[in-house]
Amino acid sequence: MDYTIGKEQEMLRKSAREFFEKECPKDKVRELKSEPKAYDAKMWKKMVKLGFQGLIIPEAYGGMDGDFVELALFMEEVGRNIVPMPYYATIALCALPLIAYGNDEQKENYLPGIAEKGDIWTLARTEAQADNSPSEIQLSAVADGDEYLLNGTKIFVPYAHVANMMLVAGRTSEGDDPPKGITLFAVDPKSEGVKIEIIPTVARDGRCEVVFENVRVAQAAILGQIDRGWEILDEIQQQGALLKAAEMSGGAQAAFEITLNYTKERKQFDKPIGSYQGVQFRLVDMLTSLDSLKYLVYNGAWQVSVGEPSRLLNSSAKAKANEVYDDICHHGIYLHGAIGWTEEMDIGLYHLRTRSMIYDCGGTDLHLESIACELENDVPDFIKLYGPAS
Amino acid sequence: MEFKYGEKEEKLRTEIREFVKAEMPPHFIGKQFEDETSAEGWAFSMSMSKKLAEKGWLTMSWPEEFGGMGASHWERVVFSEEASYWGIPGLGMGISGTAWVGPSLMLFGTREQQEKYIPPIAAGEPDGIWCTGYSEPDAGSDMAAMQTTAIRDGDEYVINGQKVWTSCAHWARWLWLACRTNPDAPKKHQGLSLIIVDMQSEGLTVRPLENYVGGHVFNELFFKDLRVPVENLVGVENAGWSQLMTALSFERGTAVGTTAAARRMLDELVIYTKATGQIKQPQVRQKLAELAIDIQAARLMANEAVWKTVQGQTVIHEPSRDKANGDILQEKLGRIGSDIIGVYSQMDLGLEDNRWSRLKGAFEHLYHYNIGFAIAAGTTDTQRNIVGQFGLQLPRAY
Ligand SMILES: Cc1cc2nc3c(=O)[nH]c(=O)nc-3n(C[C@H](O)[C@H](O)[C@H](O)COP(=O)(O)OP(=O)(O)OC[C@H]3O[C@@H](n4cnc5c(N)ncnc54)[C@H](O)[C@@H]3O)c2cc1C
Repeated sequence: MDYTIGKEQEMLRKSAREFFEKECPKDKVRELKSEPKAYDAKMWKKMVKLGFQGLIIPEAYGGMDGDFVELALFMEEVGRNIVPMPYYATIALCALPLIAYGNDEQKENYLPGIAEKGDIWTLARTEAQADNSPSEIQLSAVADGDEYLLNGTKIFVPYAHVANMMLVAGRTSEGDDPPKGITLFAVDPKSEGVKIEIIPTVARDGRCEVVFENVRVAQAAILGQIDRGWEILDEIQQQGALLKAAEMSGGAQAAFEITLNYTKERKQFDKPIGSYQGVQFRLVDMLTSLDSLKYLVYNGAWQVSVGEPSRLLNSSAKAKANEVYDDICHHGIYLHGAIGWTEEMDIGLYHLRTRSMIYDCGGTDLHLESIACELENDVPDFIKLYGPAS
Repeated sequence: MEFKYGEKEEKLRTEIREFVKAEMPPHFIGKQFEDETSAEGWAFSMSMSKKLAEKGWLTMSWPEEFGGMGASHWERVVFSEEASYWGIPGLGMGISGTAWVGPSLMLFGTREQQEKYIPPIAAGEPDGIWCTGYSEPDAGSDMAAMQTTAIRDGDEYVINGQKVWTSCAHWARWLWLACRTNPDAPKKHQGLSLIIVDMQSEGLTVRPLENYVGGHVFNELFFKDLRVPVENLVGVENAGWSQLMTALSFERGTAVGTTAAARRMLDELVIYTKATGQIKQPQVRQKLAELAIDIQAARLMANEAVWKTVQGQTVIHEPSRDKANGDILQEKLGRIGSDIIGVYSQMDLGLEDNRWSRLKGAFEHLYHYNIGFAIAAGTTDTQRNIVGQFGLQLPRAY
């Protein structure tokens, strides 16, 4: 057992924290709400120079060959500073599956672009049913000669409007078993027949509707195997949930610290409000929930980094994150009193993102269900020792 | 024991529903405070205030001499339930007018004040719109710490200082101001007074404040040598605290409206989940069922407080119990509703008929506004402190 964060990891964390504090102060976060791009292209380029986009990408493709724990720590810092940018979309949703499932040619074509040029990628997955299940994927992908024709609509696709490329989940065959017959394609958003519209979300965080009308893609654009895309989507969802939980954990920690400091300074009835037990108990419960979340994320990330990913931990981390982030933002605003409810204070900026983050790579229901499945399929120690109950 | 309203009340309910059908856009869902955030919203509210006044409902429980109908407590409850369920806006006359300014003036105001200020409220006129200035930057939960002063100078008071979080100041004709008329009083609860201020006065600056989701609900007010005639003093000089407590008890009033609005939101969720098929999912069913329990319990408590009043008993901690309970209910409702709507709950506020918004954006509104509700009119924990101290006679803990 060792809870320490390694020296190199600590350095990465520190440089990320300092970078975001300097390059993306909260006023910038506010400004970006009215900037349709929803990210700062200059900062994005600077990040490329520092190797942030290449963090998890193998050296052979221009990256730093970092491990999953480092990526999780980095995501914590992103969340801590609520940096609006297409990092999660590019790295968690696309670079990871490209690394794991891309053929040599695809890796050669795409990964250096991300690591060295800061290419933006996104995953077009969610459709109207919006439950992250296999049956949600209805966008049709029909073979036409050696090409595929894509038709359908994706919603809440992050940063599609600024993406260089996107992975699109389509249905290549219909059957009784929804996971079968899903295929992932790498598609240029500038292809003919792609229509992109920005969705006015409360965070103005670059969510898009992407409509595909007879969009042609080549065979070579398929990631992994035809009809076997669910396997990839599932892995994206597993790792993406964990990384989003890391981001939410960092955000919740920052929201908590802002609130804690405020309750020490703000006086009512001649005493800091933090001296009232009602306030203290809320803060103490927040601390417990934050620590729970943080360690679920670290444990899950460590499992991935040693090649033993745990569905139980991934889902536990995301379900916990969904609960904790919401709770801390809500009660963080409340503990500020009226000023917390204004755009002047930073705490509200954190809460603008709650509802979108909750659904990235699966809402709470989905993860609770997945935890229940793991429990159901597990054989507990006492059964192993005593044998099945008669 | 009897848990039903009388014939008179049910007849009123039917009349209100007919009114809703005739006067409100179909399938309107009310969003508390939203009318203040836009000119169109405000204009609609004002038009409804006028119509409600014509019906006699706006101030139905007021005595006839003040433009009311002398309606019973229970008629008033039914009106409040219906108005909130259907989301009829414009009930408050700037929130303050009908709920506490009018009733306080009836108790403490002079004849002249009553004649000048009450009729426009009862008539639903723009001149009957009031805002309330209690809170200051350093006097929130500790309201008695307020520092704004009104110093007597001949026939006038000269007002200096600052108020904050003043809801509706950008629409109001008058300000119901609490301030310090005797800065040398030995205790902070002493030396306070209530004064009426014309919002068009010289020496008043109103600065809009935006909430974190971009809505303009409240404002900051700055007073610089603002002069008002001494006739604008309400009640007794320096005895403001007890008058304020009475006004605040009118403000916290009853949770009847909150629970009826919650009932509407629950009904909306039931119909929505039937359409999407989610109502078949056990976890959704159970959440809806929990809400149904909470809402009915909240309704019973709100009505208990009214019943006590009808019996001639004094209600002390009940409104605070119900405000705190209502805060918690709305938080839960906002969250459950948003969870049910799922990914669509990340939409911006104020987008009614957008193709991605569900249920006219009602849950996005509730999700972000319920935190404001929990802070306004005394925070949830301030209410808990009151219940502990006055309801349970616990030693004061702060
Ligand atoms: C939407 C909205 C509309 C409003 N409209 C008006 C208006 O029209 N006119 C007006 O005058 N004011 C208005 N207010 C202000 C409101 O009355 C105050 O915000 C409220 O009284 C709390 O004061 P504060 O914001 O200064 O918070 P603070 O008093 O600083 O409280 C901060 C936190 O500390 C907690 N706290 C403080 N003291 C204690 C204690 N002793 N024990 C436990 N916890 C404690 C509070 O619960 C809160 O969570 C409005 C507020 C909102 C949000």
